[in-house]
Amino acid sequence: MTSIQEHKQKHKIETPNEKQNRHKAMEAIKVLNTLKEGFKEPPKAMSYFYDLFEEVYCHQKALHTDKVKVGTMCIQIPSEIIYALDGVPIRLCNGFYTDDEIGSDLLPQKACPLVKASVGHLSSKNLTDKPDMIYSPTTCDQKTKAGTLISSFGYDVVDVDFPRTKESEISREFFRRSIRDFSVDLSHKMGRKLTKKNLRASISKIGYAQSLYHRLSEFRKSKIVPILGNDMFIVTNAFFFDKLDNWIEATEKLVQELEQRVKENLHVAGKVSPRIVYTGSPPIFPNYKIPLIIEDSDAIIVADETCSSNRMFNDRVAVDEWFVNDMIDSLADKYLKACTCPVFSKNDDRIRRIIELVRSHNADGVIYQAFAGCTVYELEQRSVLEAMEKEGISILYIESDYSPSQHGQLSTRVEAFVESLKIKNRNRK
Amino acid sequence: MKYFAGIDIGSTAIKITIIDENKEMVGHRISGSGSMFYKYAQQTLGDLLKDLNISDEDVCYRVATGYGRKLFKEADENISEITANAIGAVAAAKEFGAIKTIINIGGQDSKAISLDDQGNVVNFAMNDRCAAGTGKFLDACAMNLEIGVEELGERHFNATGTPLSINSTCAVFAESEIIGLLGNSHSVEDIVSGVHYSIAKRIVKLVKRVGVKEGIYFDGGPALNGGLVNAIENEIGQKIFIPKHPQVTTSFGAAILGVDSYNYQNSGL
Ligand code: SF4
Ligand code: SF4
Repeated sequence: MTSIQEHKQKHKIETPNEKQNRHKAMEAIKVLNTLKEGFKEPPKAMSYFYDLFEEVYCHQKALHTDKVKVGTMCIQIPSEIIYALDGVPIRLCNGFYTDDEIGSDLLPQKACPLVKASVGHLSSKNLTDKPDMIYSPTTCDQKTKAGTLISSFGYDVVDVDFPRTKESEISREFFRRSIRDFSVDLSHKMGRKLTKKNLRASISKIGYAQSLYHRLSEFRKSKIVPILGNDMFIVTNAFFFDKLDNWIEATEKLVQELEQRVKENLHVAGKVSPRIVYTGSPPIFPNYKIPLIIEDSDAIIVADETCSSNRMFNDRVAVDEWFVNDMIDSLADKYLKACTCPVFSKNDDRIRRIIELVRSHNADGVIYQAFAGCTVYELEQRSVLEAMEKEGISILYIESDYSPSQHGQLSTRVEAFVESLKIKNRNRK
Repeated sequence: MKYFAGIDIGSTAIKITIIDENKEMVGHRISGSGSMFYKYAQQTLGDLLKDLNISDEDVCYRVATGYGRKLFKEADENISEITANAIGAVAAAKEFGAIKTIINIGGQDSKAISLDDQGNVVNFAMNDRCAAGTGKFLDACAMNLEIGVEELGERHFNATGTPLSINSTCAVFAESEIIGLLGNSHSVEDIVSGVHYSIAKRIVKLVKRVGVKEGIYFDGGPALNGGLVNAIENEIGQKIFIPKHPQVTTSFGAAILGVDSYNYQNSGL
């Protein structure tokens, strides 16, 4: 008897990092192929984004080798300040099941998959654009705790204090101070100063990126929807890590193409496909499990209220005076006031936003996803459901995680909901 | 010379091994089991003995194993395929060191068996509910890809892109997934390696149920597929042993048990 020694010499066993890379590549390519091949032809301008994700997640391409990378654990860190200081913000919120499994060894089994995946990814130290420092806003409990855990892996993690009430004058002052401290800390580390010029420039650049998002959203209000909700998530998720100028250029092209598509009456969904507003725990590439099920069930996502997409772009900074300190304060206000994350005690803004999106986008229903383990989204489910009921808006609540299992069950629930919306629409006519 | 026969009647094939009194393998034969287990088993044994020039009387002891073992009435003894697999694996892997875990992929099921230091079975896990992670699944995939099962290994190593995983555990749904991928002109190689990794992940889950230890032995027909071996090694993170004749480990084990039983019965105790 012989073993397969020769075969083994030819084919070495993967290192843990190689295995992690392969697993992630397999996850990524699956979603990208589905988007490219599973639906009506995607806009040509989407290839830029598909290729970007493939380069980064299947071929481990680093994008920012010559820049200081500033990791952020949540949407609450103003990227305007990071860009003004010539750094690159990298949002570390992670959507890979592979990393979720790694993180499961470090956090309770029941923890939020997004947090587990982010922790798992950082613990592996296998990052192509490794952050030189990380800012961790003390938002939800799990994120807050994750920051400390991550610093034990050897990263430079700085907590950014975050208030749990939104309306009060105290919290406003509190967060302004927090962002001032953050600016000082980052200035020190970057060896640069925030100036009227660089901050104003980055505010207007991000503002421009936001305006592009708004133009994309406009298209989705009309009867002819020229882009899938899943493709929109790809575009907004790319903002987590892409080179800003490239992102802007690619999105400008997408805007132009969609304009053309609307003229040509190119609707990416079916004739009677119900229009959905998506809300809840953020879909982050490649965890498009629920959004893909929705658009695979003959519905179309026309808008979303999540921190991985809409919430990043929705509100603009309102600056009164263009002095550095005023701009910093305005940024702090924008991030706090506009935030509709359920970490806050009272969160009527979120409900208002969902209703507004349903109205402005002529949506037929809302799908609310909470990650199993995300207490705040689970908790807020009740009040949102009640409010929707009051408004006569149909809503489906689903709990899910990053694992590939349960697909059949979830599809059945979503399909039934979509069908009920179709029937309602038919009866109305 | 005295000879001993191990007869493994599985769901898709009959595997027979003849050994001598020193427990050295003399010959083996594999044939499809078809609908008439008993007749085919008889026939295969007869043919094998004829080829080896051994007369029926020189076979002192016959041990049957596998699903169909009870149907083979001529057997002197029968034994479960789990035990036979363990005995055979320990003997076959003697020169490689201790075996702690056996992975067996059969035609319609797959197993993970964990052994103690003496080679006794301490635990095992089995998947016999669906085709996923079995030889059948590989056959079905190869068929959909219009290639031979024996080509799978080489195709795997020629893959250049990211392996394209198959999510369905059901062979029927997997078929439509594969056809979809082919329709979008993905390479056969990337699909093959994706199929291997999908099976490997399931096998590793099975092994985890009995505990992953150093010293893994892999047998059953699919162990001849180097691509699948590579995928399992990568998923489990260690090298695994493949015997020279992975299909006949279990019948080999049954024959070894035959020698021990025979010696015991004739030791005058
Ligand atoms: S869900 Fe809330 S706390 Fe979590 S990343 Fe999004 S905004 Fe931050
Ligand atoms: S999904 Fe929930 S638990 Fe997870 S980071 Fe966001 S708020 Fe925290």
